Order: sequence, then structure tokens, then C-alpha cells
Amino acid sequence: MSEIQKQQVAKLIENRETARLGGGEKAIEKQHAKGKYTARERIHMLLDEGSFEEFDMFVTHRCYDFGMEKKHTYGDGVVTGYGTIGGRLVYVFAQDFTVTAGSLSISMAEKICKVMDMAMRNGAPCIGLNDSGGARIQEGVNALAGYANIFQRNVMASGVIPQISAIFGPCAGGAVYSPALTDFVIMRRDTSYMFLTGPKVVKTVTGEDVTQEQLGGASMHTTKSGVAQFAVDTEEEGIGLIRDLLAYMPQNNADMAPRIPCADDIARKEDILNEIIPDNPNKPYDMYEVIRGIVDNGEYLESAATYAKNIITCFARFNGQSVGIIANQPNFMAGVLDINASRKAARFVRFCDAFNIPIVTLVDVPGFLPGTGQEYGGVITHGAKLLYAYCEATVPKVTVTLRKAYGGAYIVMSSKHIRGDINYAWPTAEIAVMGASGAVEVLHAKELAAFTDAEEKAKFVEKCEQEYKDKFSNPYNAARYGYIDDVIEPRNTRFRVIRALESLQTKRVGNPAKKHGNIPL
Amino acid sequence: MQKLKFNINGKHYEATVAETSHNVAEVELNGKKYTVEVERAESVAVPHIAAPKPAAAAPVAAPAAAPKVAAGANSVTAPLPGSVTVVNVKAGDAVKAGQTLIIIEAMKMENEVLAPADGTVTAVHVSGGQAVQQGDALLDLA
Repeated sequence: MSEIQKQQVAKLIENRETARLGGGEKAIEKQHAKGKYTARERIHMLLDEGSFEEFDMFVTHRCYDFGMEKKHTYGDGVVTGYGTIGGRLVYVFAQDFTVTAGSLSISMAEKICKVMDMAMRNGAPCIGLNDSGGARIQEGVNALAGYANIFQRNVMASGVIPQISAIFGPCAGGAVYSPALTDFVIMRRDTSYMFLTGPKVVKTVTGEDVTQEQLGGASMHTTKSGVAQFAVDTEEEGIGLIRDLLAYMPQNNADMAPRIPCADDIARKEDILNEIIPDNPNKPYDMYEVIRGIVDNGEYLESAATYAKNIITCFARFNGQSVGIIANQPNFMAGVLDINASRKAARFVRFCDAFNIPIVTLVDVPGFLPGTGQEYGGVITHGAKLLYAYCEATVPKVTVTLRKAYGGAYIVMSSKHIRGDINYAWPTAEIAVMGASGAVEVLHAKELAAFTDAEEKAKFVEKCEQEYKDKFSNPYNAARYGYIDDVIEPRNTRFRVIRALESLQTKRVGNPAKKHGNIPL
Repeated sequence: MQKLKFNINGKHYEATVAETSHNVAEVELNGKKYTVEVERAESVAVPHIAAPKPAAAAPVAAPAAAPKVAAGANSVTAPLPGSVTVVNVKAGDAVKAGQTLIIIEAMKMENEVLAPADGTVTAVHVSGGQAVQQGDALLDLA
């Protein structure tokens, strides 16, 4: 090597080292003092060892106002590139809070857009690790243009490649819309928050005194708003979650959902399931026990576990095949469908459908929640979202009705009539327009009105209810019409679901060509 | 332009009608021109149906509901509207997280309201048989 060549290589190495330091050692110390990792440390934890290839290390901003011309940092506040997770290609960007508080410049946006474009072109998931103070005000409208360019790509990529966002710091104002447009949002408790306007503005406009955590913390977003699906205590946990989530997803919408070898006995009989439904239909039970009993190794990964707990949405595997499970939870709010449950489940169904992940639905639903609160809130429209999502879905759909399936909720929960492929019921299933007591009131309204003796009336009601139950509070009436393909013994559920899914591997069903549907948003 | 041929009492007529304005027509009858003013037939009358008068609302006495307690930060609230069937605790009781505090019958289900955390019950706002709305404060924990 000549002296000049040596110098050139030395210069490159020096430049790389400078770039790797981001905002400098002091800023890194500050970040660590807050209990936060740097962008590079996060990427290192996320990707398979040594797999990271970085882009645009030497990008700097191009702003010449407010003294910015004197401050240039290699990388300009975001680390971007690609690598592998579990051996599979992923694209990643991680905002670097040590550089001008991770504020978004047009150059930063261009870097992010570049990896998003690459992810789209190569059909690989895109992961964003957010930690940014917001728009770089010195850049004016250019910062906004940067956000817009990212949003447009988020939307174009939606349903084509999985997009996952982790919020590991501030994410406020316009910045929130990029995560909001992605498939899953993970937030870390106490260090991250998402809101459109911060506590100061809220105070001046509405007079409310709130902390950042109350207004947009992880706990709030995973229980009240549903903006984020996962709240984690540490960044390690959040990053582990991204890796786990991806394992259930295909690389893109043209790939099949992943399948891994399964060590769990596919014909495993779960005797506990034969006893899980209480004799008294008014008693709840825990749907998680059913899920654990039927999936591979009892393992599942739940999305939005603390939001709308009356419906469970989770990923799991049957004979190694990745599936999405939607299940009513009788243990919470009787497992009713309400506004929040409908929205949560609808989004999950659509994610699964977009990415060829078969859907298994476990039904025990008493109906939609009555009341002014629900009707004024538009439960019709929100319930229609779930109906729409199930009707539209073309992935394999296997449904097991465990107990109640009443009225409109029966139809919505992946019934035969909305292209459910294989619909099973347990012997404990009650499939009818409504429950016995409500039905008797309607069917025998005239006779009931004529009674003067309360005791005789009660006797009559009891007789009628029994008659109704014998007729309708069972799976056989639905089975008689072929709306239930088979009534199965609960302990055999795992095997029957696996068989059903196997038979649907080659399912091919289409929807009419259209620009896009008009889901009732 | 409209041409008509017709017979009246055996006599043959040929007429051409050219409407020139909305109710005045030029009519040529067997070679002779007339200007005719046309009387329009009445259009079919659509009976006017009065909108049903809203029934005068009978004054309804406000249900003598138990005074609602505003839910505070430490309140355990009703997850769904229903009727309280069982109250397991009273003010002063120490409770453990996950313990069943109250049962609300709703949607034909006995819904258990669990303690969100360890603590002491400072006040109970509901009693058996009482109807509650979603979000109503059931009791306070400290």
C-alpha cells in the first residue's frame, strides 16, 4: 500500500469512528443516565450478531439557518440499514437521541425513506426504533416534508411488508403518525410517550393538569387508547418482543406464514377442556386456559393484552403453523363485543389476512353490549369493522364455538355464513338468536301479559324456557343446517383444529377486483 | 311535431300539432291553421300526509337512582353496565390483588370485579341489587 492509500484508509476508519459516536461521548453518557440505550446499541441487540449493514453513515443535514451551519454530525440523528433476525432479512432505522435530540431533518427522513424503499423492494419487514424530540424546527417546512415522505411510505408498505414500531423515548406531534400507521406499536413504560400535543399545550387549552406519562405513556396507550399494543418495562424486553413477533409473520404479503418443526403431540388430548365449561351458563371461565390447552407447547404471543380484555387476540402455532387467534373472554365483561373489542379484533383479523396467517376463532359471546354509551359511540359502525374484516378475509378460517353464540355476534365471529371454512362446536355450544329468557319474553309476550298469578306465570316461563333451551341452546340445531361442520369433543380440539388447518393449506378464494373496499372506519 | 289522423262522425281529419311554447300550439287541421291555447290537465294530486305529531312526552319522574359517586383515581369502576349481586368487602377491609371484590350480573353472566392491587377498601359506593353504569365507581381502594 502506498502512503496515500494508507492515509485514505486511515481517514475512512477515523470517519467511521466519528460517525459511530453519534452525538459524542457526553451525549451518550446522558442517554445512558436516563436508562436508555443509544440507537446503535439498540440495533446491536435487535439484529443477529454481526449481521448489521449500515447505510448513509456520512449523511449530514443541509440546513443553514439558526446556527445549524456550524453543527454537522455524521448520520444526522438516525442509524439505518439492514440485517437479519433469526436469519431472516429485516430493514431497520433507529433514531439517535444523542444527535440534536433525534430531531427529524429532511436528511434524516431521506435515510429512513431509503430503508423503507429497500424493504419494500426486497419484501422484508421494516422496524422503526423511535426516540426523537420531534421536527427539527430550524429546517422549517422541510422537516414536515420529511415526515410526510415517511407517512406515504408507511401507507404504501401497509399490508405488503410487516412494519413494527418501538417507542423508546419521546414521540410527539406529527411524529406519532408513522408508528400509528404501522402494524404493531411497542412502548417502554416510564421513558416513552406518544401524544399529539404535550402537557403544556393541554394545560393552556383545556386547563387539565397531566403528566407526560398520564397523557401519553405506555400504560395509558395499552389500556385506554389502544394506540400501542405492547407495554414493556425494559428496552431489552421490547427488542425481544420484536424478534418474537416477527417469528409469527411472513417476510411479506406474497409469502406464506412461517412454519416451524413442532415437537408437541398433535393428537394431544386435553381432558381439562371437557370440564372447563361450567354447568351454569352464567358462570365465567378463563379462555386463556383453552388457548393454552390447544396450541403448540401452550405458547402464544398476545397483542393488546390489556386493552379490551373481553376479546383476546394472539399469535400461536398449530403443528408449527403460525396462526392468529381471536377469542372471546367470558372472564372479562362476559366476553361481550363492544366498541373497543370490535376495533381491536378487526385490526388483528385484517393483519392476519394481509399476511396470509390463518385465523382460528374461539367463540363464547353473549352478544353486543347494550346501552347509550355504546350506541352513541357508534357500536354499529365499530362492530361492522369486525364483520367487514371477517367477511373480507380469504385466509383459512377455522372456528370453534365453545358456548354462547348469540344473535349478530354469532354471525360476526367467523360464522359459516361469512366464509368460515371449518366451523366446529363443542357439545356445550348454544347457537341461537338470543338467550332463553329474552326469547321467551318475545315469543310468549301475549300469554305472559294475560297471567295474573305471579307463581303460575313463573311456572309457565320456566316451561317455555326449557322448551326453548331444548330446541336451541345446543349446537345441533345449527348442525342440522350444516352451519356447524361437526360437534367435537372438547379434549380433541387441538387435533381437530390442526387437521382443519392442514386441509386448508391450499385454500384459494378471491375477492372481486376493486380499488379498495370502504370499511366502515 | 305530431301528426294525427282521426274520424268524427265519418268525417276524416288530419292534424299536425307543433307546440311552440309551453301552452300555445300551432295546429293545422285539414290544411287550415289554428293557434290553440292548451289547458293543461291537472297533475295527479299526491295526498298530503301530515308528519305524525310527536306524542307529548309524559312527564317522567327521574328514577330515584342512588347518588352516583364520581370515579376518582383510586376507584374501582364497573367494567360494564349491570346489576350488583354480591359485595364481598366493606370499608376497612384489606384486599389482595386479584381478589373478587364485587360481582356484577350483566349479559347473563356473573362478572367478577377483581382488586387491581393490594390495598385497603376506604369506601364502598354500591350495595346488592343496585344497577350500575359502565365506569361508575364501585368502591375506593387505598
